[in-house]
Amino acid sequence: MALDCCWFNPDRKLKECPNIKEGEEELYSSPRKRLVEKCIECHCFLDDLQSFEKDNPLYLPFSILREEYLEQKGYLQSIAGFLSSKSHEIKFLHELSIVLQTSIDMDEVLSVAMTAITSGKGFGMNRAFLLMVDREHKYLKGYMGIGPKNYEEAWHIWDEVEKSDFSLLALAEHFRNRDIVKEKEKFRDILDQLTVSCNDKDHIFNRALQQKTPILVKNAFDNSEVNPELARILGVESFLIMPLISRNRRIGILLVDNFVTNRQITPRDMQSIEIFAFPVAFAIERASLYEKLQEEVDKQTTANLKLQKQQELIVKMEKMAVIGHVMASIAHSIRNPLTAIGGYARALLKKPDNINSKTEYLEYIVNEAKQLEKVLEEVLSYSDSLYPVMDWWDINHLVKSACNEKELPLEGKKIKCLLNLEQDIPLAFIDYKQIVFCLKMIIDYIVTSQPLLDTILVNTGHGEDHVFISMAAEGIPISNDLLTALTTPFATIEDMRFSASLPLCKIILEKQRCSFSISELPEGGNMYCIKLPRRKEE
Amino acid sequence: MERIIVVDDESSIRLLYSQELADEGYIVDTSATIAEAVGLLGKNSYDVVILDIKLKNESGLDLLQKIVKEKNNMLVILSTAFSCYKDDFSAWLADSYIVKSGDLKELKDEIKRLLESRKEKTKKV
Repeated sequence: MALDCCWFNPDRKLKECPNIKEGEEELYSSPRKRLVEKCIECHCFLDDLQSFEKDNPLYLPFSILREEYLEQKGYLQSIAGFLSSKSHEIKFLHELSIVLQTSIDMDEVLSVAMTAITSGKGFGMNRAFLLMVDREHKYLKGYMGIGPKNYEEAWHIWDEVEKSDFSLLALAEHFRNRDIVKEKEKFRDILDQLTVSCNDKDHIFNRALQQKTPILVKNAFDNSEVNPELARILGVESFLIMPLISRNRRIGILLVDNFVTNRQITPRDMQSIEIFAFPVAFAIERASLYEKLQEEVDKQTTANLKLQKQQELIVKMEKMAVIGHVMASIAHSIRNPLTAIGGYARALLKKPDNINSKTEYLEYIVNEAKQLEKVLEEVLSYSDSLYPVMDWWDINHLVKSACNEKELPLEGKKIKCLLNLEQDIPLAFIDYKQIVFCLKMIIDYIVTSQPLLDTILVNTGHGEDHVFISMAAEGIPISNDLLTALTTPFATIEDMRFSASLPLCKIILEKQRCSFSISELPEGGNMYCIKLPRRKEE
Repeated sequence: MERIIVVDDESSIRLLYSQELADEGYIVDTSATIAEAVGLLGKNSYDVVILDIKLKNESGLDLLQKIVKEKNNMLVILSTAFSCYKDDFSAWLADSYIVKSGDLKELKDEIKRLLESRKEKTKKV
């Protein structure tokens, strides 16, 4: 029997079989493969099969096998198609999720999400709206829309997209840069009308959020579940409400429809969009939190700047207050002697003939003038202390010099100054003149504060990084309150002659990295100790 | 004859005020501390107290409060080297506040004015 089909012919030459197309030439050299892929569907093969006698025992099994084979092949092809589409979808979701997972920019997240829903390269829906729960959790507000507003615009957009051949992410970027504001405005009327109160529990949007499941609305104009007003606003029979939930927090909803093509939204579409909705919700929440964080950071930065300015102002005011305090102290120290001098001088002028009987007045004038000189010296010393002249000095020499200067006044008050100076004491890095001034001030203070004093014991010595001068005076110890006031510059406004001297000493000494302390002696009275640095400041 | 007490820690000021006010015809006592002043106020009756605010480590304002509480009829003039105490509420309890000056005319005029004003008030009552 002559057969039409050439399947058994191993020697078929190139281009002899009409079923073998360009690129499939290898089938000429592989008869087995050729039989399975081409011959079994070839009409020649079918003709040969039919030409078998019906009673041929091979006819029926052969026919069954062929039909079964073709059925299985079709099934495999559909599975392959499904796998291919799933693979495409996974790739697409992977691409999206990278952007969604890494972006903290709200506009970028929304551009990618909305473009993915409406683009042909994405889920291919005609139109999408995003509604977001506001910060106060009071309203679900229409936030953004994307898609054509009418048929003409739809064709125009799709034509443009097809020509541009942008990738999905490029489309999203394009949308973000050029269209996001425009689209928001385009759909402003619809977005405003879509806004609902979060308290309206019966509203289908809130129900979807409450149940955390998507709702696919069909027959919207004749659906008891749907508010007719909502159907009118959207103008479509079918739409999908996709809740956006992130870790149990209600972010908003996506409203998706095929406003132009009226294609039915399938359960498969719904499933795909649902998978996509999770990372979108998460990304929106993260971007929103980042926005809030940014706002807080901005607020904090502004507050910090304000605080910094306030601090500067406070420091300035404190400086002014200190200056005011100092000025008041100086004014007080000057006004008292001036009052006395002026008063006595006037009194003398009133009775110039009787001047001999008023020698007491003259003595007061002289004493108060001396007091004024002393105040002036203190003020000038304070000014000098601002710019100390530092050098290496032998403090034993310094102590002797200060005590020599005070010898006469001390003798007048029958006070001895006993010196106990350490031999070969290390040099100190100080302003000689200022330290001498401080020693004299301390001696003055001791003499004024201890009326029954007969001896001041002055010691010098050294430690690892300092040399010290101590002055011990027995008598009544200084009270703690007075001690604090005496060692706190300008702590209280007191008589400068009496108490400003020690605060001034403290200022002068601290400016030279020296320390000044007053301690109580066990036998009564106080020890005044100055520690002076043995090293230069680095 | 009106009696005045000068409370000031400065001996030169005490002497100056006492001599000058004595020349004006007043009987003048002086005190360097609050304790001393309280003692004198307990012993004698004064028409005017001339009170310094800063008395070494004491405050004349404490004595002022004591005087106001106990002796309402006495006139108190705060006399101080500071002008800033004018803003201190407790200083407002005084009948007058003057800043120390080598020219005692202001102090003397103020004493006269206050005494005359008190006399007129007494007459009206």
